[in-house]
Amino acid sequence: MHDLPHLSVTNGAMEGGAVNNIILLADSYKVTHHRQYPPGTTSIYSYFESRGGRFPYTVFFGLQYILKRWLQGPVLTKEMIQEAKELIKVHMRDRDDIFNEEGWNYILERHGGRLPIRVCAVPEGSVVPTKNVLFTVENTDPMVPWITNFFETIFVQVWYPLTVATNSRIQKQVLHHYLKETHENLDPLPFSLHDFGYRGSTSVESAALGGAAHLVNFQGTDTVAALSLLRKFYHCPMAGFSIPASEHSTITTWGQHGEVDACRNMLESFPEGIVACVSDSYDIWNCCEKIWGEELRDLIIKRGKTGGTLIVRPDSGDPPAVVLKCLEMLGKAFGVTTNKKGFKMLPPYLKVIQGDGISYRMIATILEHLKQHGWSAANVSFGSGGALLQKVNRDTQKCAYKCSHAVINGEGVDVFKQPVTDPGKTSKKGRLSLIHTADGSFSTVREDEADPKLNLLVPVFENGELLRDYTLEEIRKRAELNPQDIDVMKFLSENQA
Amino acid sequence: MVSGPVDNIILLADCYKSSHYKVYPPGTTKLYAYFESRGGKYPYTVFFGLQYILKQWLCGPVLTKEMVAEAKQVIGQVFKRDDVFNEAGWNYVVEHHGGRLPLRIKAVPEGSVLPTRNVLFTVENTDPAVPWLTNFFETVLVQAWYPMTVATASSVYRQLITHYLHLTHDTDEMAEYMLHDAGYRGVSSVESAALGGAAHMLSFKSSDTVAGTSLLQKFYGLEGVAGHSTPSSEHSTVTSWGRDRELQSHRHMLDTYHQGDAGCVCDSYDIWKCLEEMWGGELKELVLERGQRGGCVYLRPDSGDPKAVVLKCLEILGKAFGTETNKKGYKMLPSCVKVIQADGIDLHSLWDILEHVKEHGWSTGSVFFGAGGALLQKVHRDTQKCAYKVSYAEVEGKGVEVFKQPITDSGKTSKKGRLTLERGEDGTYSTVQHGKGDLTKDLLVPIFEDGTLLQEYTFKEVKQRADQGPQDFDVIKFLQESKN
Repeated sequence: MHDLPHLSVTNGAMEGGAVNNIILLADSYKVTHHRQYPPGTTSIYSYFESRGGRFPYTVFFGLQYILKRWLQGPVLTKEMIQEAKELIKVHMRDRDDIFNEEGWNYILERHGGRLPIRVCAVPEGSVVPTKNVLFTVENTDPMVPWITNFFETIFVQVWYPLTVATNSRIQKQVLHHYLKETHENLDPLPFSLHDFGYRGSTSVESAALGGAAHLVNFQGTDTVAALSLLRKFYHCPMAGFSIPASEHSTITTWGQHGEVDACRNMLESFPEGIVACVSDSYDIWNCCEKIWGEELRDLIIKRGKTGGTLIVRPDSGDPPAVVLKCLEMLGKAFGVTTNKKGFKMLPPYLKVIQGDGISYRMIATILEHLKQHGWSAANVSFGSGGALLQKVNRDTQKCAYKCSHAVINGEGVDVFKQPVTDPGKTSKKGRLSLIHTADGSFSTVREDEADPKLNLLVPVFENGELLRDYTLEEIRKRAELNPQDIDVMKFLSENQA
Repeated sequence: MVSGPVDNIILLADCYKSSHYKVYPPGTTKLYAYFESRGGKYPYTVFFGLQYILKQWLCGPVLTKEMVAEAKQVIGQVFKRDDVFNEAGWNYVVEHHGGRLPLRIKAVPEGSVLPTRNVLFTVENTDPAVPWLTNFFETVLVQAWYPMTVATASSVYRQLITHYLHLTHDTDEMAEYMLHDAGYRGVSSVESAALGGAAHMLSFKSSDTVAGTSLLQKFYGLEGVAGHSTPSSEHSTVTSWGRDRELQSHRHMLDTYHQGDAGCVCDSYDIWKCLEEMWGGELKELVLERGQRGGCVYLRPDSGDPKAVVLKCLEILGKAFGTETNKKGYKMLPSCVKVIQADGIDLHSLWDILEHVKEHGWSTGSVFFGAGGALLQKVHRDTQKCAYKVSYAEVEGKGVEVFKQPITDSGKTSKKGRLTLERGEDGTYSTVQHGKGDLTKDLLVPIFEDGTLLQEYTFKEVKQRADQGPQDFDVIKFLQESKN
């Protein structure tokens, strides 16, 4: 993989980044493991799963980014080995008996710096119930079995795009439910949850990954870094879309008494198409009633005649109450029609977007509240920042990577942990396959207990080569909502936590 | 290894910001914005991480004609319209400024520890033709919330541990080694691991997140390392031996790394048996002998209720190895063996364990800790309510105060006018609004102007500043109040 050829970045720092040595991609203690395996070990085989957690399934996504970004091709150089050797020595308090210089040099010389690893994985976009194997890793060269678990750290980081994609899809299920109940079609669904999380991410790289994961399920985003990632790593030239929208600074710079001018200017600067305007800078009720509902009413209606839509954005206060009150005020000023399902709709050129305090539960709460008051879910779209991209962690879906099989002195042995202090942490044994069950669901079985042709785990990486190159398009297809999905409303009511 | 997903600064901003240059009041020539923590979980913050953002993304000539062309294409497609992208504005920056950003940033020195609700940095455009630049970079500048929040939380962890060492141990010098960063796999990306790992190292010297050291070397002039680690086993290096050879696996570990410290995970099958029969049995001599050569073995449980598990481990090991009583009257294991608990640790569970251990007469010094997700991932922008807001503008030659004040949430009210950060004679910090501050007293230091970094902080000085700690902060009182 190369950078897009037409880019010429002149700032060296942007190319370097904090880490550009694959030996530094691992927790420090892993540098000491090559000498800890039993003598005679020639193969270490590990697998990754979600051991349960908040949601009963996961959407598998993001491994391809990790493979392409860090592990594909010749990734090891003499300089890296030297740099790591020096750093590790000091880091481990001046010990020379730790760094595996020999092992890394072997990989450099014997394999041209390519990693002798095989990774088999369920196709990206697959929606799989928890407690199933999602990918496996093993060394292909018996001389370097330690390499399998050396890269655990970076492989386990797949928890993040996986969890974001899962949380995002659950929200899609909720939105789908309410659109089905209160609207005539599902047209608004792809743009009903917009990613606002760029600034609330922990880094640009994380924003790009999390934003990409959200776009597996939706098409609305402001996290433009995600579009870059999907173009560069998942063959999608344009994965998401956005609209001109104001922010507080573009309203408040007009002064408290200039709010109506600011709003008017927004509509006139973008005379066509959809625009959103934040409305709570001073007094959201005044904004809805007087500014949109009176002073700019005609302008909004005029824009509406040529297909222009205004999306009003509150940004503070208790979300369900605020959204309902906005709809009612706007309904009073602009009129309301009733759709075929019997629910109230604002005119087609007017909508509300709630982008504050949103989570999967809050969406359900708001839409239920609206439904109870006779309003269609199609009047409202949502934006989410922190809850979408940051308020998740590895424990959300209990993601873990564990060694389950080894070959020691020629013999294959099952490997597992089974802590008496937590049966939830018991790991699977042996080489594993993922197969479909008779009812179309999934099951993890021992590799030798299933027909290899039925194994859903596909070799995706071997000896530095990427064997499968998934496109976002196929990933989206795989992750589409379908009738076999869990009943999300039942899930929400059973899991109040 | 290919470079990361983003290599064009125009793509460092939320999409909607591309539409903003058009909608400021006509005649706007200046936008001045500031960043603060509006409150949140902790009453103070340790400022850290802005220098990384500046050096990684914004310093030097960062914009080229090619980037503008690429962004034009991307933004045009994102909006499906061509009246959004500010091609003229970006080309202006390339042509008139050689691709350097005409911004001035003033910031409190990195490592500074300040109460919340104070200005931490300000940003304004230096060229009146491009005022929109100030808020264009809000997105990436606001990401300073993360290293700052991790640095802040880490400092609280250290104070908590120090508090208990004071009560139950002869010295509190080892506090810096007692919370190990095990969070590399539990963060959302390598870049975040590096940032979070670096931030933790302002308070601790023990870390497995080696990416943090890498970042500090490259971006904060660190010479050598900021955090250390120890040869330690993991489950795979124990379980690959098979259940019936667990003892051999531990012995092999001690033999392989037979000098200095070593860490051993003990809960693969049955932690109690492991401690009683193996460590208290056949391995005991090896541990004692190693201890005589100055080495310590850290025994690691990794499952079960942390509080109960830690205590039971101490009691089993106390029985097997004997205990000493220190000057404060608390029991200690011999110096050759300790417990390290690195599962389920967050601020409140840590406090729970420290108190529980103390109540049972044990010194804090016999238990070390590790944290992963709680340290590096279970934080967010709302933890310290970090926000960036325009507070001052010049429109048609006149200075105007700019602020939001939503009736629906007074906590979101922003500051007004040009700001200074000042310190009174009694040491208290205050942010002076309305341009009324005394610039000679302003603690905000110009650090970036027109693409040039004016101040470069080294890790050493950042840490020195952070080590001074907050004023008037009682960690136990804080924890008690935050429990409710």
